[in-house]
Amino acid sequence: MEAFEALLAGFGVALKPINLLWGFIGVTLGTFVGVLPGVGPALTVAMLLPLTVKLDPTGALILFAGIYYGAMFGGSTTTILLNTPGESASIATALEGNRMAKAGRAGPALATAAIGSFVAGTLATLALTLVAPLVVEAALAFGPAEYFALMVFAFTTVSAVLGGSTVRGLTSLFLGLLLGLVGIDGQTGQTRFAFGVPELLDGIDVVVLAVGLFAVGEALYCAAYTSRRPETLEKLSGSLWMSRADWRRSWPAWLRGAGIGFPFGTIPAGGSEIPTFLSYAAEKKLSRHPQEFGKGAIEGVAGPEAANNAAATGVLVPLLTLGIPTSATAAVLLGAFQNYGIQPGPLLFQSQSELVWGLIASLYVGNVILLVLNLPLIGIWVRVLSIPRPLLYAGILVFATLGAYSLHQSWVDLLTLYVFGLLGFAMRRWDFPVGPAVIGLILGPIAETQFRRALSISQGDAGVFFTQPISATLLALTAVVIVLPWVLRRLAAARTPR
Amino acid sequence: MAGTRRSQVALSLGTLAIGAGAAAVTAQLPAEGGYAGVGPNFIPAVVSAGLLALGLWLLADALRGGWKGLPAASDAGDAGAEHAFHGDAFAWVSGGLFLHMLLIGSAGFVIAGATLFACVARGFGSARPLRDAALGLLLALAVYLFFTALLNVSLPAGVLAPLLGTAGI
Repeated sequence: MEAFEALLAGFGVALKPINLLWGFIGVTLGTFVGVLPGVGPALTVAMLLPLTVKLDPTGALILFAGIYYGAMFGGSTTTILLNTPGESASIATALEGNRMAKAGRAGPALATAAIGSFVAGTLATLALTLVAPLVVEAALAFGPAEYFALMVFAFTTVSAVLGGSTVRGLTSLFLGLLLGLVGIDGQTGQTRFAFGVPELLDGIDVVVLAVGLFAVGEALYCAAYTSRRPETLEKLSGSLWMSRADWRRSWPAWLRGAGIGFPFGTIPAGGSEIPTFLSYAAEKKLSRHPQEFGKGAIEGVAGPEAANNAAATGVLVPLLTLGIPTSATAAVLLGAFQNYGIQPGPLLFQSQSELVWGLIASLYVGNVILLVLNLPLIGIWVRVLSIPRPLLYAGILVFATLGAYSLHQSWVDLLTLYVFGLLGFAMRRWDFPVGPAVIGLILGPIAETQFRRALSISQGDAGVFFTQPISATLLALTAVVIVLPWVLRRLAAARTPR
Repeated sequence: MAGTRRSQVALSLGTLAIGAGAAAVTAQLPAEGGYAGVGPNFIPAVVSAGLLALGLWLLADALRGGWKGLPAASDAGDAGAEHAFHGDAFAWVSGGLFLHMLLIGSAGFVIAGATLFACVARGFGSARPLRDAALGLLLALAVYLFFTALLNVSLPAGVLAPLLGTAGI
């Protein structure tokens, strides 16, 4: 009940006219930038960060929440109309949504995505309201050793277990960890990896890394490999409204998608990629029209889109309660929190209760704004999509460089940005996942602090990580998730007759 | 696919080089760690060792028939078209970014932004440099005014300072 009182107070904050305005601006900007092809949610949040430098923390966080949701939704519009899934979480939507658009049913596809996002987002926010206080309670018992073990677990799952290749995921993570070491060591004041460059003393800003990898890397990649290839934009023709049959087929898929998406978002499983695929598979299996799958089945859009949004909300549970980002977008959000001197975690719920619950309340509000804004404005988003590619990427890079330059007003940050762009280019070309690098950069220094703190408390006895029950369990789980896929592969290979 | 293998070997060696560089820097860091027993050089040592090990792993995979689990060359067109590398486009985008770095401090945000805009558009195949430069100028000017006047973020006015008046710094 305490949580609901706090939530009510939170609504008091979120519904203040000025904060409502920030919510509107956030959702609109987030959708606008998220619609741009090749701009995923992580990049959207990173590029829009400079806008918030002069805001008070509450307003800024509400703006971010709106941007985060808008970016998610904008991405699905692009996928349906253009069939260029900017991120892995929209691949499932691309399978059916783009087929529907090709068949002249772009309207219902966009509508089921929008309404499904609203339904799943609201349910997931409700779940967040209920779950977060429980996690906070459990997390208050966590000491440095437990936090460190939890972070090791998160590092392992996001880099080694998910994605196409363990070695490439880990390489990305370790590059991120190395970049996270740059700057002044928080505990001893020792300068590390800064090479006497003043701009590097503060460490590497998550915005520069995210924008470099996602925007500059993507621009270099697209210029070099795909700029000569024609693209087809599906027209928005026919009715925008869903028929009675569309509704009947959509709503169970929304609910199932929300049910699949939220739990996956809360565990360190890399965000939305897995739940969207699971939801797609579930809808395909349960549908009474399995023959339509692959040709534009509406359940195949409704389920994954709901799962995507529910997972995006689920990601906020570990981020707010434990301070652990489990997706690249969450890592950028954590960077934004840190800019305001806010360290998410269980203590935040006590020390800055108004801010946290204001943020959670604004998620409810954001979902409503998303719905009322997007259905009527779909025509505008479609027009954004028809911006010619050369002008689009030129504009993106003007904004991308602005974010990096405004940090220290120095060209050194622009050079750093370009180096990360080259890195992003190579990673994109050779299928290195980018998320682990961004998570490693932001979470690495926190993990190191907890590691050294735990050892200080135990007077240098490393056994502390293995003798405390919670920490030992988490490390054992980490070992299991590393070994298990390998064992399963072995078993499968042994069973197949040669 | 000799080119593929060469690139993979090069990237593996690059990872090894980064690991080795990190290890060399780590060796210069102090080790005293107070109560914890581990100093500011401990985690850097772990990360360096990790990068070296991963570099070796990548190299071994590259030499033994290439990296595993790469996505199929293309789902839309044929593999050749997907991975034909357009060096000129890459150079235009890179050049735009370098010019921007050079110009932003001296010529100012607006000129640098317009130059970047025109170069990137050229890299993406636009054949109308004058229109692009004009559009870039408009966009950069709008961004400049928005950030300096509305958000109080200072951006260099550069040579346009007399025109932009007191809005710039």
